[in-house]
Amino acid sequence: MNTGSNLLDVEGLSVSYGSAKVLFDIALTVGPSQIVACVGRNGAGKTTLLKCIAGFLKPVAGSITASAASLVGLPPYDIAKLGVKYIPQDKKVFSDLTVRENLELGSYATKDYNWEPVTTYFPKLKTLMDRKAGYLSGGERQMLMIGRAILGNPKVLLVDEPTEGLAPSIVSHLKNVFRELSKKSALIIVEQNLPLVCAISDKIYAMNDGRIVAELANEASIRVEVCEQYL
Amino acid sequence: MRKAFDWWWGIALAFSLLAAMRAFLPLPFVNEILIFSIYAIGCSFLLGRVGFISFGQPAYLAIGAYGTAFYLFYFGTNPYIGILAGLASGFIAALIVGPLFVRLRSDYFALVNLALAVIVFFLMQKVLAPITKGDNGLWFLTNMTSTPVLDITRPSQFFVFAFIVGLAIWAFYKYLDDTLFGACCLATKINEDKLQFLGYSNFSIRLAAFVIANTTTALAGSLYAVYIGAVSPEITSPARAADPVVVILLGGAGTLYGPIVGSIAYTGMKDVISKLIGNWEMIIGPLLVIIMLAGEKGIWGTLEPWLKTLLFRNKSVVPQKNSSIEGN
Amino acid sequence: MDTSLIVPGVIFGLSIGSIYFLMAIGLSLCFGLMRIISLDQLLYYSVGAYITYSVNLHTGSFWLGVLAAVAAGAAVSLAIERIVFRRIYERDLTFSMITSFGVLLGGVGIIKFFWGLVPRPVPVPISEQMSIFGTEIPIYRLIVILVAIAVYIAIWLFLNRTIIGKAIRAGIENVEHVEGLGINVARLFTITFLIAGTLSALAGALHAPLIMVDPHMGLEVLAFVFMVVIIGGLGSIKGTLISSIIVGQVVSLGSLIYAPLAQMAPFAIMLLILLVKPTGLFGSVLLKR
Repeated sequence: MNTGSNLLDVEGLSVSYGSAKVLFDIALTVGPSQIVACVGRNGAGKTTLLKCIAGFLKPVAGSITASAASLVGLPPYDIAKLGVKYIPQDKKVFSDLTVRENLELGSYATKDYNWEPVTTYFPKLKTLMDRKAGYLSGGERQMLMIGRAILGNPKVLLVDEPTEGLAPSIVSHLKNVFRELSKKSALIIVEQNLPLVCAISDKIYAMNDGRIVAELANEASIRVEVCEQYL
Repeated sequence: MRKAFDWWWGIALAFSLLAAMRAFLPLPFVNEILIFSIYAIGCSFLLGRVGFISFGQPAYLAIGAYGTAFYLFYFGTNPYIGILAGLASGFIAALIVGPLFVRLRSDYFALVNLALAVIVFFLMQKVLAPITKGDNGLWFLTNMTSTPVLDITRPSQFFVFAFIVGLAIWAFYKYLDDTLFGACCLATKINEDKLQFLGYSNFSIRLAAFVIANTTTALAGSLYAVYIGAVSPEITSPARAADPVVVILLGGAGTLYGPIVGSIAYTGMKDVISKLIGNWEMIIGPLLVIIMLAGEKGIWGTLEPWLKTLLFRNKSVVPQKNSSIEGN
Repeated sequence: MDTSLIVPGVIFGLSIGSIYFLMAIGLSLCFGLMRIISLDQLLYYSVGAYITYSVNLHTGSFWLGVLAAVAAGAAVSLAIERIVFRRIYERDLTFSMITSFGVLLGGVGIIKFFWGLVPRPVPVPISEQMSIFGTEIPIYRLIVILVAIAVYIAIWLFLNRTIIGKAIRAGIENVEHVEGLGINVARLFTITFLIAGTLSALAGALHAPLIMVDPHMGLEVLAFVFMVVIIGGLGSIKGTLISSIIVGQVVSLGSLIYAPLAQMAPFAIMLLILLVKPTGLFGSVLLKR
């Protein structure tokens, strides 16, 4: 199972909030340049899974391994430094800071001061550099959040509901960006937009009530109709 | 049936313990424990049930004490009426500041209360010095006349009175815990939004809890005043702001008997330590830090589940506080 | 009221406000970033004053005393952060408030142990007066005001021009996102706590010649510092500056009108402001956690 070529291995992962168990025995793998999607109803445990991988929640059991390093018990900032970065769904940028300062913080954390990839993916950010991030639109915020996360060439990006509430044109732009990003980093995307998921994913995990109920890993099964069964 | 038994059983045990202490320990010590536990239960209720921590309890204690003192020094001689005067002034003070304070977020609430305690201290020490006699305090021990039936100007009969008052207060708080009001209080602590959806007003629940708790504290203040026969601004000195907080944490916050256990432990320690070294803060400060770092369950919080298993061995034991919240 | 008293009154108020500002800024930053209420800042204030007293007594140099006080404040706050606060950042606010009160009380006990209960005087280092608008003003008070202004500018530059300062501002908005980027927030917390402790010690050192140094001095300014923080709004730096000026002036000018007003008026103003805005002048409603 553990081939060593995987960027991220999760095995037997269980998570509780107090005495209420919310994730049961989760196992998943992410290979290089893969886009892996998690689909499922609200409350299925998708966000909890990402937060747990990123270190914001401590699992009660199980292992999370990224390139031979165990992530369990590390603080979130160490996990981010190891190249596993979480992009939350709340679309909260640091609104009191300018776009430039937001990116500077990403650079400060990773010591990567080359912003060219960011401005290539999101040319629009170039014109907004000195604007306070609080004045950005929802789409621009999402661009900024992805932009500051991809500094330092992360190995795995954990993207939580990236297209929620965004205009269709931005969604299709993001779709292309994810494809481009996957050439350098692997992605785990939690997403409700099934057509988007099916268009870009190499593998889909369907979740329900804190368990992975299906793994769709081939062309034939990665279809909207198949995914819908699990929602 | 078992519930009714539980009800009285706990209170009866706690108070027979106090009565037993009367036989073995010096009277002033037991009296102090009684007053202190009444002082602490208001604070304990606010913290454990409503989720408000108040560093300003000495303010309400002083208001009750000075209410009593003013009556006994300037107007009358009957200590019972003095206690009523203290109770009334505490109730009125809580009604005045309450509507303003309970609107605040819990962090602001804690800070504003602390500021209130310091202000009451200044008020009594300097601003109202012509009436309060400043740092000298008001002395009225000889002003009080003996009362028929129960002469509370005498320490031994004061004990009986304080004992009865304490018993009544505990019965009252136990009753509150079991009523819908008690449940609402707990609900404002855990999830105020949801409570509002159910059609309850957070504001009025919190105000009621605030007034009840601080009137109790004022009552403790007036008991103090009558017992000592004097009141000085020292009673609300900022250095003592943490006293009730330490007591309830020592005992276990939010548990019904925590304040009693905490008062016994605190008064005992204070007695012993101040005999050994004069420097009380040096012990109580680190102790407070250690209690907090060790898990803030306190003495009673640790003992209670253990006692319950011991006494109701065959019954399933519902753990107090936290776990019962998360369980459903 | 005698108008010739107004200029000294205003200067007096500004110098008192400066002391409050130096203490409140640390409390406010600690609340903003770590969501703690650090009552032990009042301990570093007392420590600063006592170190200044002792160094001044033995070397005769007040300014050396101030330097030593700042160093001691930094050292003590760093130790307390490591031993106590490290363990409680994750807990809720009341938790830090009780624990830090324990630290404060323990510290007061230790101060009593070393220096005793007797209030100690610290001589004013510069006794010269300066004539402003025809009234004599002690130069030392002007220096206190200038130090506070310098600290405000330094803090502003630190928060707006350095990357660590920017990370602290970002953390005040959302700590989790800062962590998610890979920035070591534990280090940010330590730096912020250290800044707060150092400034509190500086406040104590500068305040020492203006009052008597005694073990309970921290508890005496407590109410005023908290009123500053509450009026300004927890977590707001601009609010802290404005409210420390307000409280300083109210204390100073209030006592010119009627002495007891010095204590009561700020409290009344605080209640009034809370009545209109329960989170203070510049406190953000979003800071709920």
